[in-house]
Amino acid sequence: MGHEHDEFADFYRASRDSCLRAVTAVAGDRELAEEQVAEAFTRAWMSWGKVRRHAAPQAWVVRTALNLGVSWWRRRHREVPLADHDAAAATGLGDGVDPALIAALRRLPARQREVLALRIFLDLDTETTAKVIGIAPGTVTAHLSRAVSALRRDLPRANTVSNATEVIR
Amino acid sequence: MNEHDDVMYQVRESFSGLRMDMPVEKVFANSRGRRRRRLSGLTAAACATVGATAAITLTSGGPVAPAISGNLPPPSSGPVKLTAFSVTNGPGDSTTLILRKGQQYQLDPSALRQALKRHGIPALVTVGTFCRPARGASVSLGPVIHPKTLADGSDAVVMNGSTMPSGTRLSIGYFPNYVRMLLIKDGTRLSCGSTAHQPAVHITPSGPKIRR
Repeated sequence: MGHEHDEFADFYRASRDSCLRAVTAVAGDRELAEEQVAEAFTRAWMSWGKVRRHAAPQAWVVRTALNLGVSWWRRRHREVPLADHDAAAATGLGDGVDPALIAALRRLPARQREVLALRIFLDLDTETTAKVIGIAPGTVTAHLSRAVSALRRDLPRANTVSNATEVIR
Repeated sequence: MNEHDDVMYQVRESFSGLRMDMPVEKVFANSRGRRRRRLSGLTAAACATVGATAAITLTSGGPVAPAISGNLPPPSSGPVKLTAFSVTNGPGDSTTLILRKGQQYQLDPSALRQALKRHGIPALVTVGTFCRPARGASVSLGPVIHPKTLADGSDAVVMNGSTMPSGTRLSIGYFPNYVRMLLIKDGTRLSCGSTAHQPAVHITPSGPKIRR
C-alpha cells in the first residue's frame, strides 16, 4: 500500500498539470476542468490497481474527466463550489492563455479538440490516441490535420509561432 | 514532429501557465472520505434492516449532542438519510457549520436556517437550487466565513454573525455533491436556480412566491 501510495503520488505530481491543460483545452473552462480533473484523479487513486496498468494512465484521467457526464458538466459549469467563495464564473482561462486561441479552440468540433489535447499535452502518438479514444488511427490523423488547419487559419497573425515566444515571454 | 509543429507548439506554450495546485493529499483525502461515506451508507442500510430500534434511539433522545444537527426524516421503508449538517459554537465567538454532502444525506433547509438564526446568522437555505441577486454584485464573503474541507470531504465553515454587514443574510445552496454560499442584501430581488446565468425561478423580496 505504501508503495502504491508513493507511486500514485509521483504519477499525480508528474501529470496533473498536463491533464489539467488537456481537459481545459477541450472544455474551455479552467475552473470546471480543475474540478473534473480532481475528480478523475480521485477515481484513478481508488482504482489505481487497474489504472496503473493502463497503456496511458494520464489519458485515463483525461478521458475520465471528460466522460464524467454532460449533466455533471452542465451543473458544475453553472455552480461555483464553496471553496471558491462564489467567485464569478470565469469568462476566460487566465494564466496567460491567449483568448484568441481559446476562441479558436472552442470553434473546433469536440472530437478534434480531444485529439489535439491528447497529442499536444499528453504527447500521445497516433496509435495510442486512437486506442484511447476508440477510433481508427487514420481518423486521428484526419482530426488532427483539420484541427491544426482551422487553428492556423483562425489564429491572429500576431500569434503565429514566429512571434509566440515574444507573446509568452 | 511534423508540419503541424508550429501550431501545436503555440497551443502548448499558451497553456503552459495553467497549473493544478491541488496537493496529492487532497486526492487521498477525497478518496478516504468517499470510502468512509460508502461505508457509512452501508452501515446505515444495515441499521435500517434492524428496524425500529435505531428510530427509537434517535427519537427518544439519547446522549445530548453538543451540536444542533439537521433533522432526520421520519422512519420509513425508503433509504435511510443521514444528518446533513451540524452547527456548533466556536472557535471563540464564531460558529462552525459542517455540511456533509452525498446522496445519503438529507438537509432540512428550515432546520438549518433556524439553527443558524439561533447563532445570529440570518440565512436563506435552499436545497437543489441557489439564490443570488438578480442584478448587481453580491457582498463579499471574505470577512464573514472561513471555509475548509475536512478529511472526509465535508465542508466546515467557520463564520461569525457579528461580522456580517447589517441588512445581509447568507444564501446557502445545498446540492448533493456541493454547496454554494453567498452574502446577499435583504430586499434584493433574487434569482434562484441551478445556474448562475439561467435562473429557473425568481423569488421576490416581498414574499416567498416563486414563479417560473
